[in-house]
Amino acid sequence: MTKTPHILIVEDDTWLAEQFVRTLTNLKLRVETAPHALMAMDMIDTDPPAVLVLDVLLAGPNAFALLHELQSHSDLATIPVIICTNSADQLASEDIEAYGVRQVLDKTKMTPEDLVAAVKKALL
Amino acid sequence: MKAPLSLIRQLALSLELGGISSDSYERMVRQIVLVSERALRLTTDLSRTSRLEDSLFELEPLNPQQICEEVAHELAPLYKAKDREIRVSSRYRPILAVANKDLLRRILLNFGDNALHYADSSIPVELYAGIRNHGAKIRLGVRDYGPALPNDMWQRLKNTMGTHHQPLHTRPQSSGLGLYVAGQFAGAMNGSIGTVRHRDGATFYVDIMASRQLSLL
Repeated sequence: MTKTPHILIVEDDTWLAEQFVRTLTNLKLRVETAPHALMAMDMIDTDPPAVLVLDVLLAGPNAFALLHELQSHSDLATIPVIICTNSADQLASEDIEAYGVRQVLDKTKMTPEDLVAAVKKALL
Repeated sequence: MKAPLSLIRQLALSLELGGISSDSYERMVRQIVLVSERALRLTTDLSRTSRLEDSLFELEPLNPQQICEEVAHELAPLYKAKDREIRVSSRYRPILAVANKDLLRRILLNFGDNALHYADSSIPVELYAGIRNHGAKIRLGVRDYGPALPNDMWQRLKNTMGTHHQPLHTRPQSSGLGLYVAGQFAGAMNGSIGTVRHRDGATFYVDIMASRQLSLL
């Protein structure tokens, strides 16, 4: 049986993750969350998401460890990634270009509509 | 400070957009209140550090176990709202520390706030007080249990993380401001702070002078 496409949010602030789920619910897609990169790796292995919304600074291994891991699997390397971080101003474009990141959202400036728009764009 | 303020902003923007069920509305408002209180604690602490040099803080003998109990009690609503638990490790032999009660409380609140973010929901965060340096110092610590790393994965991740690894002394959501504040408060009491990174979490602690009053009894 084919699984429904879904969005995976990797965010260690559980309340912010909950807020993102609320925001994305209107897209009528399944939205799942992982509080850290290790759980995200397991979830992606089991059921690769259509879009990955990824915080950078996570408890344990950070987003780059997860992105490295994804890049090492040809079937997972193409998952569209939206980085959603408080440290957007500290991200060098050369650091993220290699990982095929579609968009970087700055948590301090973004609106709920920005997240919806970014996910819609990534799904195209 | 960015993390709590960003969350408050996201929640407020969603409330402004509307179309939220009454249950979600109440939950979001409660979250805004609790996150605001956390941000206010940090702001208050920060403004207090700027006055540390101008003030003399009274140091007094106090029971560290009782401070741990008070801090756990104060943080319990926030922990409960996040479906986490905080508890104090029991201790049989009484100990006394020399410290400023308010500053010590603020240090532990800070560590407790930090631990909440990284704690696994299945294992309570533990506050403890113990003796160090053959009774010369008292250590109060906050131990959290985060995601456990199997040995092979830990090694693999250390290799793959390359230059993007995180410093051991700070936590990802933190800019280090909370630790700076805690360090300043500890210094004002002739104490020091430190951290131990475990494979399944971390301990943040403050070492302060022990009181000799009990040994004179």
